[in-house]
Parts: sequence; C-alpha cells; structure tokens
Amino acid sequence: MKYAYFPGCSQESTAEEYNRSLRAVARRLGTMELEPIPDWNCCGATPAATVHPLLLYALAARNLAIAEEMGLDVVAPCAACYKNMNKASHALNDDPELLDRVNATLNGHRLRHAPKVRHPLDVVVHDVGLDNVPVSRPLRGLKVASYYGCLITRPEGGFDDPERPQSMDRLMEALGAEPVDWPYKTRCCGGAIYMTTEEISFRMSADILAYAKAAGANVVAVGCPFCQLLLDLYQDRLEALKNMTFNLPVLFFTQLMGLAMGLDRSELGLEKLVVSPFALLAETIDRPGEEMPKKSRPPAPKLKRWGEAEQ
Amino acid sequence: MAEARTVHLVQTAVAMGLIEEQVSLCYQCGTCTGACPVAAAGGMDYTPRAIMRMIQAGLEEEVLSSQTIWTCASCYLCTVRCPRGIQITEVMTQLRNLALAKGYKARKGQVYNQGFIDIVRRHGRMYEPELVVRYHLLTNPLNFIGLAPVGLKMIAKRKLRLLPDHPPGRPEIRRLFERLKESERRKEQGE
Ligand code: SF4
Ligand code: SF4
Repeated sequence: MKYAYFPGCSQESTAEEYNRSLRAVARRLGTMELEPIPDWNCCGATPAATVHPLLLYALAARNLAIAEEMGLDVVAPCAACYKNMNKASHALNDDPELLDRVNATLNGHRLRHAPKVRHPLDVVVHDVGLDNVPVSRPLRGLKVASYYGCLITRPEGGFDDPERPQSMDRLMEALGAEPVDWPYKTRCCGGAIYMTTEEISFRMSADILAYAKAAGANVVAVGCPFCQLLLDLYQDRLEALKNMTFNLPVLFFTQLMGLAMGLDRSELGLEKLVVSPFALLAETIDRPGEEMPKKSRPPAPKLKRWGEAEQ
Repeated sequence: MAEARTVHLVQTAVAMGLIEEQVSLCYQCGTCTGACPVAAAGGMDYTPRAIMRMIQAGLEEEVLSSQTIWTCASCYLCTVRCPRGIQITEVMTQLRNLALAKGYKARKGQVYNQGFIDIVRRHGRMYEPELVVRYHLLTNPLNFIGLAPVGLKMIAKRKLRLLPDHPPGRPEIRRLFERLKESERRKEQGE
C-alpha cells in the first residue's frame, strides 16, 4: 500500500533517527510505500488549541488537503501530529460547517473529504501484518518494555486499547524479543509540559523508567519523539531523581524492527541515542553463536490480544 | 447512561455553556484525579475532580486563575476513564481559552504556546532553538545556565537543526493565520 507520509517537525531534528529508520524499514518491507507530502506544515502540537480554536483544524486541513490531492491516506509517525491530524480528520468529516470555516482560511488548497490518518505502528501491525515482517536476526535476549505513551491509543487515536494496548508487544514478540508486562505502557511522560514545568514532567518520566526497570526490561521501545527525548536525553536526571540506575536504551520501535530485519545499521541512527544501546546489543543479538545459553529463561507467556477470551 | 456530547470545536462565546453542560454530568467519583499523572506528580493546585466541582459551584475566578488548567498535559487518561463520559481534557483546553479570553494573567504555559505558534506562523514549521531561546528570555533568562549541558549533548548528537526549515508554502501559512484573525474580528463585530 502507498501512504502520504507526514514526517512532522521533530523528524528532521530531535528524532531524525525515527524518520531514517522508519523509511528504511518501509523500503525493505515493500508493502508500505511512503510518499512524502510535499510542502507540509507543522500540526501545531498542543499549543495550537490554546491560541485559536480553529487553528489546529486549519493547520491540519492544509496537510490533509495536499494528501487528498495525492489520493492517499496519511501516515504520521509523531504521536502529537498523529493525534492532532486524526482528530481534525474526524471532526472535519463530521462537521460540514467546521469544514467550510476551515476551508475559508486555506489558500491554494481545498479540502473536500479528509483522508484517514494512521500511525506507522498501526500500519505495520494491521496493514503489513506481523507475519510479513521478514526477521533475519531475532532480537533474542531483549526484554522490551513497550511504551506507547499517552497519545497514540487515546480516544483521538484509537487503533488499540487505551488502557492495555497490545500491538507493540505483539510486534516485539514477532521480532523475537520478549515483551515484558508492565503497568505504565500508556502513562504520560509529561512531554507537553516539560518546557514549562520541567520538574513535574521529570517526575512523571522517572516513574515510567522505574516501572520498566522493575518489570525486568533491558530496553524501552517507543513510538513518539517526545517520549524518546525525555526518557533518553534526560535519563541521567531521571536517575538522579529516583536515586536509581536505569541504563535503559530507549529505541524507536522502527529501530528495533530494522535490527531484527538485518538492515544496514547506518540506516537506523543508533549512534544518536544518548543512552547507548551498543553494549546491550553486543551481549544479546550480536553475541556469536546460534543459540542463547541453554539455561536461559523459559519462553515468555503469550500475551493476550485485547478482548480475547481466557483459554 | 447520559453520554456527554462530543465537543469538536469551541468558540469563546459558547465555551462556558459547553463546559457547564459537560461538567453537570460529573458525580465527583474522583476517577479522573486518580488517573491524572500530573496531579500525582504534584503539578496541580486543584485536582481535576476539584476543578469539576468548582465549576459546578460557579467558582469561575478560582478555576480560571488556577495552575491546573495550565499544567494539564493533555494526556487524555482522565477522559478515557471517566465513567460519565466527560471529555475532561477538552474541558481543560477550553478553560485555558476562556481564561485568556477573559484576560486572566497568562501563565508560563501561554508564553510557551504563543512562542510555539508564532514560529509556526513565520516559518511554517517548528524551529526548536528559537522556541527555547525565546521562551527562556521571556520567563527566566537564568535558566540558560542550566540548559548548557543538555544543549551540548544535543549538538553532539546532532539533534538540533541549525537553521529553520523553509518550506515553499510559507506565504500560504501566513495567509492562513491572517484569515483566522479576520474571521475572529468579524465574529467580535457580531456577524
Ligand atoms: S471521573 Fe468524571 S465523573 Fe468522576 S470526578 Fe472526574 S469528571 Fe467527575
Ligand atoms: S488530560 Fe490533563 S487532567 Fe486529564 S489526566 Fe491528563 S494531565 Fe490530568
């Protein structure tokens, strides 16, 4: 399938490795073609709604109109872009008056029917399909805390359960890693308020890493540039706050996919992580020899899909 | 069970009505406060449940000058869990808009919001270094000292863009902002 790709502002700065690894993974998959939206604009993130009530919709509508001209649904990797544009897409299709008012602010484009907006995790799990992800280097030994963050599963998102999502855990399983069960999968990291109330967002983020650590994880997987920034760049501050050592590399789920798919590592941007993953990789997936030591733990219990009946 | 109406859009003039309509459904169970990570981290002067009650009691000034409406991280967990289907996150956003419209003193959150959107207006896209510099200049320039280690780390990891992106659609974006302003003005004049 082909999608209109909306990289978003962070994909060219703080989260450049997310962009790079996602595009490399998509190229290898072949079934997830990402055609960039030319001349896209910022989605307005959280501030838009508080500056003007129409602004979020107007900024989204311009991008959606370009995607509509391309005849494609949108893929947005940043959780905030995804949430804003998905929210706008539904609202604009539900409310013709809103659509008219927003169209009146556009110039050079006109939105008729807003295309769907998808998160790449949704596309990988539901369109590409986990069986079609070619794994050549299983992520043995990686115990992954799948951290969805607050926005991708919430009401404005909605491809997975908001309280107990499973899609990233299933993906990690398919990549040969061991997803750990832990309670803070969708707890907010405080990304939206860290510029203004840093100490509060640090407390929120520190709790997340403490829970991941307590659940036995040795790596955290994320799908949002803000979560990644707080948990990785500021990990030393979070450790100081908790008086704990985390030493948890925080990788975008696309970087983990790329590793498992055996992609050229220069395409994955691993060197950009502040908490380096290389020691962990050397001990686990890069360890010579076919098998993990025999005395390794029994296989992880299969996670239930949300809503699946007990067996 | 009464379902709260989905709120897509708020005009300042009707904001209070919509907020009251949503909030009238609240039966003070406290689920939202239990869910709220910001309240748990000590970042709110009133809990989300308390805000709901205060609105019911008509304590407009206390609500609109509270810290809570500015530190809400818009994470939606309260909204997911509220047994009355109240869109608490949306209510918080509207309270911010209302506080601004009624001339309450802007908190740091709004300095950040305005700075962010102003960059989007001029460049069409975010330019993080400018936002950081501007925000700290306007709030507390002494913060720059504390920023240095992180800034250097980001430069070492090439996580900062040195120049803003300049998409060709910038004039279109500026027009978009102008037209929004115009429509606002027309509304104020009662058209
Ligand atoms: S969860 Fe809903 S009903 Fe309960 S206190 Fe909060 S707003 Fe009121
Ligand atoms: S949306 Fe705001 S009030 Fe609700 S749980 Fe999140 S931070 Fe708390």
